Amino acid sequence: MGLFRRAWLTVVSEVAWRIPGRPQRLLAAFALAERGSMLDMLSAVELTERRGLRKLYFRHALDEARHAALFAGRVRSLGAIGRAEAAIEDSGQLVEAGVVAGTTLFERLGEEEFLSFVYVAEADAVEQFEVLLARRLPDPETAATLHRILKDEHFHVSYARTEVERAAAAGRPMRRSMALHRWRRVGQAWLRFSSDFGALMGGFWLGLAYVVGVGPFRLLGRLEPGGWQRPERGGSSLAAARTEG
Amino acid sequence: MPSYVLGISGLYHDAAAVLLEDGKIVAAAQEERFSRLKHDAALPVRAAQYCLETAGIPVSRVDWLVFYEKPLRKFERIVSTAVATFPRSWRSFPRQMHHWLGDRLWLRANLTSAFGVSPERMMFCEHHLSHAASAFYCSPHDEAAILCVDGVGEWATTSLWRGSGSAIEPVSEVRWPHSIGLFYSAITAHLGFAVNEGEYKVMGMAAYGQPRFREEMSRLLRLDSEGGYSVDLDTFSWHWHPTEPATARLARLLGPPRFPGTPFTPRLDPLAQHHADVAASAQAATEEALLHLVRHAHAAVPAPALCLAGGVALNAVCNGRIAAEGPHAHLWVQPAAGDAGGAMGAAMWAWHGVLGNPRGPALRSCALGREVARDRTAELLADLGARFDDLGDDAPERAGRDLAEGKVVAWVDGREEWGPRALGQRSILADPRSAEVAERVNRSVKFREPFRPFAPSVRAGAAPRYFDIPAAAASTSRFMLSTHPVLPEAQAGLAAVTHVDGTARVQVVDADTSPRFDRLLGAFEEATGVPVLLNTSFNLKGEPLVSTPVDALAAFARSDLDTLYLNGFRVERMR
Repeated sequence: MGLFRRAWLTVVSEVAWRIPGRPQRLLAAFALAERGSMLDMLSAVELTERRGLRKLYFRHALDEARHAALFAGRVRSLGAIGRAEAAIEDSGQLVEAGVVAGTTLFERLGEEEFLSFVYVAEADAVEQFEVLLARRLPDPETAATLHRILKDEHFHVSYARTEVERAAAAGRPMRRSMALHRWRRVGQAWLRFSSDFGALMGGFWLGLAYVVGVGPFRLLGRLEPGGWQRPERGGSSLAAARTEG
Repeated sequence: MPSYVLGISGLYHDAAAVLLEDGKIVAAAQEERFSRLKHDAALPVRAAQYCLETAGIPVSRVDWLVFYEKPLRKFERIVSTAVATFPRSWRSFPRQMHHWLGDRLWLRANLTSAFGVSPERMMFCEHHLSHAASAFYCSPHDEAAILCVDGVGEWATTSLWRGSGSAIEPVSEVRWPHSIGLFYSAITAHLGFAVNEGEYKVMGMAAYGQPRFREEMSRLLRLDSEGGYSVDLDTFSWHWHPTEPATARLARLLGPPRFPGTPFTPRLDPLAQHHADVAASAQAATEEALLHLVRHAHAAVPAPALCLAGGVALNAVCNGRIAAEGPHAHLWVQPAAGDAGGAMGAAMWAWHGVLGNPRGPALRSCALGREVARDRTAELLADLGARFDDLGDDAPERAGRDLAEGKVVAWVDGREEWGPRALGQRSILADPRSAEVAERVNRSVKFREPFRPFAPSVRAGAAPRYFDIPAAAASTSRFMLSTHPVLPEAQAGLAAVTHVDGTARVQVVDADTSPRFDRLLGAFEEATGVPVLLNTSFNLKGEPLVSTPVDALAAFARSDLDTLYLNGFRVERMR
């Protein structure tokens, strides 16, 4: 999987980084991912029962926050892009970008699964950044930023690996857990693609419903006039209160 | 056995949960404080869990869960609008239907699944009635006119109510798509800020400009002789476009829009000055419109008190003018006037309006959110290797001295605030006398735009020496909800908290409801002779207010704050 992944990353990176405007989008996506990761790490600081790990999680969270700011800075420096990308400093954007949903990773996975996920995800990030740098794709300032970030990412890989190995030595099935995370990440990519495709198809059918179902009634429709109107209310009886309409 | 009512708002923005025990507020919190996602719209599962834990009850003990909207009526509005705006609504219809068919149409089932409350124990309160209830039932007034102004609820965008005892009766409403809230949001987007987030920035920017687009604004937002208004639906497009609230006509009328993130340097850059003038014009138009509505409210419901709610009621400059120039003797604004407050209103409407229970005392403090135990804080500080002292109950005096030495201090104390304002539970505090301090807090503590002003907190007895607060604003100024002139002779001494137009969004601190914060102000006064502090929310740019010690420590470590006070612990700067 390693060689295949590297080849895939190389091809995708070569294509993506040469499309005008695309590097800004990718860097904005990196910034959002780092920001989402900061929230996961802070959740780990809050919830961990292994007090010895708390400081590592905290440092990791601060690193992720710094990386998010660095990536956001590069997006700004590389020039004007859309309104959505310009809003990457707003944590509310994390939901729209699909970076976070519902519960944090630590809440979903628990301590050991979380650590193996951190190891897999950070190792993947290292690999991705190394491909970008080896192919000399980013501009010099962005490359310098990636070099700075890589140092932290190596540290994250290192401490997560130590903890994973410690758990494995204690008889936990960590190798299986990491393999599962790798496949889950592939599965998530597939799900994202399916979801986007589903949204596209849904948009098509709903668009058709709009033309066929809404269009014929156009002459019946009217917008409300301005100014004060007499209110139509359902009242405050218990029966009225229990209805949704 | 006590009765419990759980109010819920969500699925648009600012989701929140509020729990009443026999009509008394036990806990109130916004979901964003738990998820750390600003304006989080998701159903507030964690906020509700916190409320239940505070009361010490399982969800099975909740008698009623009350949602703050009537979803089917809202759906009716969306479909009707799609019909009326065919074919221009071709982009927005599929997007809206995707949301509605995905979850919102099945709200009752989703609420059961999320909160574990059976469908028979649910009520649904109209959006504007939730706002009205949140303002009136929390107020100290038995009789009041209630005015709600926001973007849109089901159909209403502005509504007038008569509050009397435990009853709230509808009087009149302005309906979608005519909306003052959406007018202000459209200008917010035109000025390059995020809608539902950047409205405060427009307010701050307005002080740098002149309202020289008054005439253009009066074409966009038309006041009528009946005390109502309408908007120019040829220029605005929020009723048919999913993302752009205005057409190209707005740029033709007001000039080029501002690109997000553009540095704002009025007086140096003509385009920046132009944008400041647009902001000033929109703010002036909104103030005039609100005063117009308030005068109509007074004529239609001749009560001495006015209660305000809805997102527009967070426009502190408008509130200041209503208090100073409006016809009402008393103004009361729900501290969480936006959709979060809908959760409180929905619960209170169920308790008083539907179940017929008498009213309780007025809301006197916003400290209704999460509090973290001191032993847990101490454990966390030790685990993170922080350098700290345990000052216990002496923390306010020590913090006052730190502030007098020019330090910028983060202050986390007790239960967090309900609503968007930091009122001395999750605050960043600094010396109000020096403009350099304000510049430093903007630049390297909060990392936000330099044009945004800071608010002062002042001890109650000293407020008249510094600020011109009208009697009608006695309660709004307790919750930092209105802006008032800083007295000319006090402005030079309060340079960090006096905005360029000579005003400040002041918080008057009452020793009865905020004893520790009042002691802190007292300590600063003892050292400097000034009973005022710069008080801004403890959060970094783009993030919600800090809630837990972990949030506080993370924000502390990422900013240029000097000292953090955390539940009585004094933490040294971390790097």
